[in-house]
Amino acid sequence: MSIPGASDSIDAATFEQILEMDDDEDEREFSKSIVYDFFTQAQSTFDKMDDKIKNKDLKTLSELGHFLKGSSATLGLTKVKDSCEKIQHYGQMKDETGTRDLSSDSEALEKVMRTVEQAKREFEDVEKVLKKFYHDEA
Amino acid sequence: MTTSLGLNPESPTHPFPSLQSALSDTAESLSSDLLSSSPIPTLVLDHSLAIRCVSDGLLGVLGGRGREQLLGSHVDAIFDPKLPLPPLAVIREALSTAEKTKRLHKLNHVQPDGRTAWSIRCLPIFRHGTLRCIQMELYDTTEDYLKQLELEERITTNETFRILVETVRDYAIFMLDPKGNVATWNAGAEFFKGWKREEIVGRHFSNFYGKEDRDNDKPGRELRDAIRDGRCEDEGWRYRKDGSRFWANVVITPVYRGDTLIGFSKVTRDLTERRRAEEKLVSAFEEASKLKSEFLANMSHEIRTPMHGMLSALTLLLDTQLNPEQLDLAKVIQESGEVLLQVINDILDYSKLASGSFSVSSDIISVTDIIQSVFRSYEKCHTPDIVLESNLDPRLPKAAEGDSLRYRQIVQNLMSNATKFTEDGYVQVNAHLQEEDDDSYLILTEVIDTGIGIPPAASSSLFTPFTQFDNSATKRYKGTGLGLSICKSLAELLGGHIGFRPNPGGRGSIFWFTARLKKIKQLKHLETSQDQSRALAVSTPATPIEDIKLAAVNRSVLLAEDNQINQKVMIKMLSGLGFDDIDLANDGREAVNMAVEHSPPYDIILMDINMPLLDGVTAAKEIRFASIHSPVIAMTANALKGHAESYIAKGMTDYISKPVDRKHLVKILLNCLNQGGLQSSHEPR
Repeated sequence: MSIPGASDSIDAATFEQILEMDDDEDEREFSKSIVYDFFTQAQSTFDKMDDKIKNKDLKTLSELGHFLKGSSATLGLTKVKDSCEKIQHYGQMKDETGTRDLSSDSEALEKVMRTVEQAKREFEDVEKVLKKFYHDEA
Repeated sequence: MTTSLGLNPESPTHPFPSLQSALSDTAESLSSDLLSSSPIPTLVLDHSLAIRCVSDGLLGVLGGRGREQLLGSHVDAIFDPKLPLPPLAVIREALSTAEKTKRLHKLNHVQPDGRTAWSIRCLPIFRHGTLRCIQMELYDTTEDYLKQLELEERITTNETFRILVETVRDYAIFMLDPKGNVATWNAGAEFFKGWKREEIVGRHFSNFYGKEDRDNDKPGRELRDAIRDGRCEDEGWRYRKDGSRFWANVVITPVYRGDTLIGFSKVTRDLTERRRAEEKLVSAFEEASKLKSEFLANMSHEIRTPMHGMLSALTLLLDTQLNPEQLDLAKVIQESGEVLLQVINDILDYSKLASGSFSVSSDIISVTDIIQSVFRSYEKCHTPDIVLESNLDPRLPKAAEGDSLRYRQIVQNLMSNATKFTEDGYVQVNAHLQEEDDDSYLILTEVIDTGIGIPPAASSSLFTPFTQFDNSATKRYKGTGLGLSICKSLAELLGGHIGFRPNPGGRGSIFWFTARLKKIKQLKHLETSQDQSRALAVSTPATPIEDIKLAAVNRSVLLAEDNQINQKVMIKMLSGLGFDDIDLANDGREAVNMAVEHSPPYDIILMDINMPLLDGVTAAKEIRFASIHSPVIAMTANALKGHAESYIAKGMTDYISKPVDRKHLVKILLNCLNQGGLQSSHEPR
């Protein structure tokens, strides 16, 4: 099963595993509910992130990154997942791979900001693709 | 030298003349025979010094001249200066002295060249006051003479040495008897050990050692070593009579006479001054080197902060509307900035390594995973002209103890070099299990490329900091020249080595390094249980899904997961596998409470690692603490598998990485349930 227009933003094997859980391949009730739950979760998490950026709360930003990483990984939303992982690392004052220490809070916050924006864009892209997949382009 | 023998030259008169005459005849012929055949060079001269008798011994020395020829001629005729005989003047002197003194006269003569020595013996025989004849014997004393000389020399030498040893003050030189008691004592010993000769002679030399050395029987050991090796040298603290200590170099040598050990010579030098100077030098050097490294580290850190600011601003600038020329320039700035950042990061690493503040952490490492992950990152961005390949030894350990980050850093660095210097052909990563013993694995990792290669002249300085083998290359290829020296230090920190050889394919390089990884004891059960499950899979023709659906009947599961989406997916997946008794905990605290209260215990607990209130690892610990032995499977989205595996060491039964792969989950569940079935005491409901 391939998802049109999602070659590198969605991991096919992982997403297929979700699709296989659907009892009815036409209805796709289960996977659709999961995906739409994710949309809601992602939106609210991004809102929280914006809030925490204002408070410069790196620790919570890292936790939020980890949280959204978990569910985006489950759905195979690779790009969003990767960005969330970066947010998690930056929030811990590490570089994007978690290898080196960052030099200052401001550097970390700067990186978090950029990555959150990137994650939002990636999310919007994949949201469009998935909505199209579920024939819900309204 | 003149010796009187007290010989009466006047013979006693015999009472029977006839008999006397008969006897005299016999005696005369006898003495003539005796003289003639004597091996000692002998002459008998009459009063006018004419030769009357010559011995065989003398004829031998004269070489070839017949007895008849000599008899009757004057004694002077014999002593030809060409012959190895005393000179004529000496002979004459001996004869005249003997004649004058009328006594046996002995004279020793050494030839002027010192190579031959003679002892001349002249016996004058007088009858009725007139000289009748002289017997002269010549003894060759060369051998005795030489021995004597040697002896004299030896005595002088010994004396010289004794004076030398006794008076030298810079070294303590003394003898020990075979038991180690002091036998002699010199001025040096007295000077820097503080003991007087009469106080120390006869006492054991262990008096010079500290208590600890004495307790370990170091003195005795040194004597034994000296006998075994012929010599024993040591540096260490020795003590003076007043208890103060000095840093000494000591050499003990056994002394033998023939085959008998007669004692030991012991030479002690005071190195306190030298040691102090050395320590000063070393600490000055260390201080300087530390300051340098600290300076580098601080500078790098200070530069990094504004660099990040610049690069961030630049990224934002690149997102704005720029005309093509501006865009080009901005890209140049960005590229240079990134290189500069890399340089600074390298220097920071290097100075940390150089100052020794670089620590190696010990976590769970899977070589295969790391290489695949590095490999993937290069796969994404490599040029189509290069083929990327990897060969991984199937015997590579799935999990071992080591520093995964440092290992990854080396692989990444070598890969980055290989791809940087290779324009077409291939880049290959190989990893092999090179050695395995009871405690560790030695992993050989190679990165092979068909790039520009390394000229033989440069290969020796490859791993030296701040060198790039070719200046023109520096212009074409970016970099600090620190990468390989960092890799070298890292490889050494990992207990391995790093090296280079040309690619035998003719073009390019092979960089290799080894790393020693410790074996993990706790993981044994995991590997054996996987073996069991493989065996199980062989013995039953049914698919794992069918197996799990059978095994899942009447099993209770606790799922601890804080993310609702993951909760939903996991519950759906588990119920799809036949589990219909699934409880849900939203955080670690809830999970512990539910696990403790549930009776009988859950058959399976699936535990997310990062959860609010209580993380998965702590929750698992508390569950174990409450004596609940349900299998706990960690679920983790951590990028490195190595981290996940360390959870097993912390009390988890197994782990599964997120996103959860159904097949993998089935395998793990089967494992746990089969083991649980064997161990669990409660009846399945």
